[in-house]
Amino acid sequence: MLAYLIRRLINAVLTLLVVSLVTFGIFFMVPKITGSDPALLYIGKTSDAASIEGIRVKMGLNDPVLVQYGKFLKGLVAGRDYVSGPEVTHCDAPCLGYSFKTEQEVTPLLMSVLPVTLSLALGAAILWLIIGVSTGVISALRRGSLLDRTVMSAALFGVSMPIYFTGLIASAIFVYQLGWLPQGQYVPFLESPSEWFTQLLLPWITLAFLFAATYARLTRANMLETLGEDYIRTARAKGLPERVVIGKHALRSGLTAIVTVFGLDLGALLGGAVLTEKVFNLRGLGYQALQAIQGNDLPVILGVTMIAAGFIVIANLVVDLVYGLIDPRVRLA
Amino acid sequence: MSLGPEASVTDETSAPTADAAEVRGPAEKAIAGRSLKQIAWRRLKKDKVAVGGGIVVLLLIVVAILAPLLTKLFGHPIDEYHIDQIDPTFGTPIKPWGGISSDFIFGVEPTSGRDVFSRVVYGAQTSLTVAFLSAFVSTILGVIFGTAAGFLGGWIDSMISRVMDLLLAFPQLLFSIALVSVLPYSILGLDGRWSRILVLVGVIGFFGWPYIGRIVRGQTLSLREREFVEAARSMGARSPRILFRELLPNLAAPILVYTTLIIPTNILTEAALSFLGVGIPPPNPSWGGMLSDAISTYQTDPMYMIIPGGMIFITVLAFNLFGDGLRDALDPKAR
Amino acid sequence: MSRNTRAIAAAGVALALGLTTAACGGSKSDDKKTDGASGGKSAYNLAITEVVNPSTAKGGTVNLWGAQDADFWDPARGYYAFVWNLNRLYTRKLVEYAATPGKAGLELKPDLAQAMPEISADKLNYTFKLRSGLKFDDGTPITSKDIKYGIERVWATDVISGGPVYLPAVLDPKGEYKGPYKDSDPNKLGLKSVTTPDDSTISFKLSKPSADFMYLLAMPGSGPVPQKRDTGAKYTTAPAASGPYMFKEGSIQPGKGAIFVRNPNWDPATDPIRKALPDQITFTVTTNAEDMDSRLIAGTVDADAGQTGVQAATRTKILQDPALKANADTPVTGFLRYAGLATSVAPLDNIECRKAIIYAADPTSIQAARGGPIAGGDIGTSMLPPNIAGSDPKYDPFNRLPGKPQVEEAKKALTACGKPTGFDVTIAVRNNKPAEVKSAEALQAALKPAGINAKIEQYDGAQQASITGSPDNVKAKGYGIIIGGWGADYPTGTGYMQPLSDSRFIPKNGNYNLAEIKDPSIDALFDQAQLETDPAKAAEIYSQINHKIMEGAYYLPFVVDKALNYRNPRLTNAYIHDAFGMLDFQALGVNDGK
Repeated sequence: MLAYLIRRLINAVLTLLVVSLVTFGIFFMVPKITGSDPALLYIGKTSDAASIEGIRVKMGLNDPVLVQYGKFLKGLVAGRDYVSGPEVTHCDAPCLGYSFKTEQEVTPLLMSVLPVTLSLALGAAILWLIIGVSTGVISALRRGSLLDRTVMSAALFGVSMPIYFTGLIASAIFVYQLGWLPQGQYVPFLESPSEWFTQLLLPWITLAFLFAATYARLTRANMLETLGEDYIRTARAKGLPERVVIGKHALRSGLTAIVTVFGLDLGALLGGAVLTEKVFNLRGLGYQALQAIQGNDLPVILGVTMIAAGFIVIANLVVDLVYGLIDPRVRLA
Repeated sequence: MSLGPEASVTDETSAPTADAAEVRGPAEKAIAGRSLKQIAWRRLKKDKVAVGGGIVVLLLIVVAILAPLLTKLFGHPIDEYHIDQIDPTFGTPIKPWGGISSDFIFGVEPTSGRDVFSRVVYGAQTSLTVAFLSAFVSTILGVIFGTAAGFLGGWIDSMISRVMDLLLAFPQLLFSIALVSVLPYSILGLDGRWSRILVLVGVIGFFGWPYIGRIVRGQTLSLREREFVEAARSMGARSPRILFRELLPNLAAPILVYTTLIIPTNILTEAALSFLGVGIPPPNPSWGGMLSDAISTYQTDPMYMIIPGGMIFITVLAFNLFGDGLRDALDPKAR
Repeated sequence: MSRNTRAIAAAGVALALGLTTAACGGSKSDDKKTDGASGGKSAYNLAITEVVNPSTAKGGTVNLWGAQDADFWDPARGYYAFVWNLNRLYTRKLVEYAATPGKAGLELKPDLAQAMPEISADKLNYTFKLRSGLKFDDGTPITSKDIKYGIERVWATDVISGGPVYLPAVLDPKGEYKGPYKDSDPNKLGLKSVTTPDDSTISFKLSKPSADFMYLLAMPGSGPVPQKRDTGAKYTTAPAASGPYMFKEGSIQPGKGAIFVRNPNWDPATDPIRKALPDQITFTVTTNAEDMDSRLIAGTVDADAGQTGVQAATRTKILQDPALKANADTPVTGFLRYAGLATSVAPLDNIECRKAIIYAADPTSIQAARGGPIAGGDIGTSMLPPNIAGSDPKYDPFNRLPGKPQVEEAKKALTACGKPTGFDVTIAVRNNKPAEVKSAEALQAALKPAGINAKIEQYDGAQQASITGSPDNVKAKGYGIIIGGWGADYPTGTGYMQPLSDSRFIPKNGNYNLAEIKDPSIDALFDQAQLETDPAKAAEIYSQINHKIMEGAYYLPFVVDKALNYRNPRLTNAYIHDAFGMLDFQALGVNDGK
């Protein structure tokens, strides 16, 4: 078990390293290929050679790409220094870089927007898990009933609706027409828990509707599959109450697939719900990333990519571990 | 496949990691058989919902192909301005319901008065082209690498599996946006529209292949140990023969199903990228681009949001219905 | 032209001495002007011409929201117009724009200086005497050396890039000074052309006469900076304050906003310009412009800090409700929107082909693409905005005012150009400016009937300096038509037109003379204007330059930019400052003390 854990951890770190190398390579090589100069992104109306050179030195653009990457890694592990005129800025580890556009370190910048994404993703996840799994179970048990068909049609609708359409419709109806909910503007939980809740309610519901659809379908399919298995028949034959048969046996084995998908979805969502955050104007990781991409703020793009990849890798790891805990057929070795 | 809609489209049978795939391997045996085609066809025909989806899909394909003709018959050129249809102060259509009239059957675009019908029809062309071509790219790559990994095994398998894991660990939507936005607008001497379509096909297709690749690998692994392959091998058949005569025909069904199911995801991804402003460049229409334009006017002119959004919804739904039906027909165990 | 992503507005400083009626372009509406003098009355566009709700009541908080954060709070680096406007809260300069509505606001008044400078007979030496009792927010006195040091920072573009760099051309044309961070002088005061004989005297020695020099001294970058507190690139996170307000400690949060509180060491007796009414001014960055609009209407936000106009839905709401409309203004922003016709790209090297494009363009559809007559602006006819001296709104050489494309004229011009069947051309447009992309589409559609086939090429707006700003690249890529916009950094014809039309202003990167006009007679006129101290005569010269640009068919003007802004009725002393085309933030107060 321990050996397996260590192996997986090493794997995760390696994956992150490769992701960072690839990202770094692409975003620092593309300007070279297309012949544009990243230093020019940072100058103003007047662009004399001295200021371009100054920016190049400051950003370390004169170093070979591999040296730049090495410095990035060093910053990540041990922190690094940036010279900004008369003063030297020290960027503590884990230093994801320094945004020359806004003169701030990337790590604290991303940490400051992380709560928005966390609130959004976790809230929506709880909602869709409850709705999705419960409707899935009911549909499976009442297979072919009107309820089953309604739920499954609704699920299919949900799967086919992009968030940037549902989101717009939802705000058009609930915010602008009915005025039931406030307009999107993230309020930190500590500042006002009630406003935090009301502001996030619409994004949660919209997002959850989308995901719950998938989970309902998934749960139903898995339940149906396991309900046909011999051991369920055995359990029923033993005279176990239906509640136990469903809860303890059928659902449990169906859970593995749900956990898998859930972990991956959550990981991906935490790494940046770009569309949701854009539609609902939530300044989270995804929104920040979009802005960085539009403004060509390379250090921020790199930082967000790293954090997002980190979430996905961790989610994978957790999924595999949880797998072993719920599915007795899996032995981690 | 959370690339597009930001929702999980991860299919029931696909699993997250190589280890997990092996665990679940035995549960997803493909049904092989000579009369598979007929059986499946008969089953599919009975599934009214799937047939309905299929008809809508065919209809959309016809619309996309006939876009120039339809525009000529029922609309106006996509880049023709009808400023007389627009209220100059507010920039919204003068006529109610988004300016719908006998002349403009889907209404007109705010600020410019361009014909929404023509733009939606051309948008279908863009959307479907990108979706089909990128599904094709994903499938080709997925099949090549998937069978290679499953059939050859050893270090090749672990290499390919590693790469697939890595690609799945990429924040894909973010990466696609960044990648598409730094790539130049015209490549290979093509005009803006087609070079962008090519870029989108490349990026969406590339990020899609590990999903197919993983399924193909799993299937290949299980088929490799099956009796009929053993038999062929013991009779002295060489690897290429086993691969092409024994394995690939048996892989055809799952490949077909997953290719069909990847298309709606690709439609959503293309629309998402256009929505975020890195898709098809104007004045070429795209559904995502229209939705993104609609953000500034949807409170006063909701029709302009509903039409392209509705088109995306109908198209994706039709593909999903048809794909589901196809899967059920080919793999009765799924239901 | 706004730089990089800094879109919404680079400094749009619009002018003085200009024609007043023109300055309030859209003010012909019938419901303008109820009698504004009576306190508490407000009317549509009233703030353009007079002070709405005059008051001296102190206290309360002015809440400004903005959809875009400041580029930099460091006065030497900020370049957005609204940042220059907010800068008046915390940075004083030797001279400053007067705090009055209308053209009077464009007049420079002594601020840190006791009086306007003594200027030598050869117009090369300017000497200022400082007021006494000037202090920074930490209580240390402001001396002439702090002003000199602040000015020197403009040279240090290698460390603190972003802001305008005009002074070196006047004070150090040979580029001998390398900026304070590379200065070998122990006090970092090595710039030779600026001298500080004592703590209250500062003199400038110009290399050549410059009629616009005083405007350069009124830019934020010419304010005082205490050398001890200068942290270089980091200075933008905690700039020192010389004005009535300072940043609340730690309140500058990139992407979120900033809070201004009273500077206890500012002495009102030393400052004839600023009233400093509210106790606090907050600047909040929002991600949701629609939310900001509804808060404006609800009265929980006092004004849009960017002053770039409300969103489409709110525009409809305001214009349809007379009560709301009475609190709205549509001032000209000082920006022109236009397309440069690159003379380096065939067949636009031929003036007739350029004329064909101008004639074929549909003024109305482009105006609609920019937002229509109220929110977008009036149809542009020439290259000098109506609020800069020398402009004539009636000057319409291409007959654009009727608002119709002139395909016949365009075909005639095409024949004269030797391309009777038309030609192919590429329109280059920034991808991060939706209105510009829409203008490009409208232009493309309008050119078609004349046989001109335009292809739209979007480029990364953040890389503007090296894409459309690079003449070599423009030529290589064949960008015949380049969509752009420009607001002057200081309100004179030179400030507006020189970067757009002087052949000596074509750098390898960051070029704004999009047409690459190389006309010695235009260059000579700019030189002549710099020697002209009589504003009326200077205006005459600028009018000539404007005519020469239009006669050469170098630019296709789109619209004279306007923005529909809403102000909270509780605001006192509200008026549009002509230097910025927006509310004068430093003058604002609130009438309820909250």
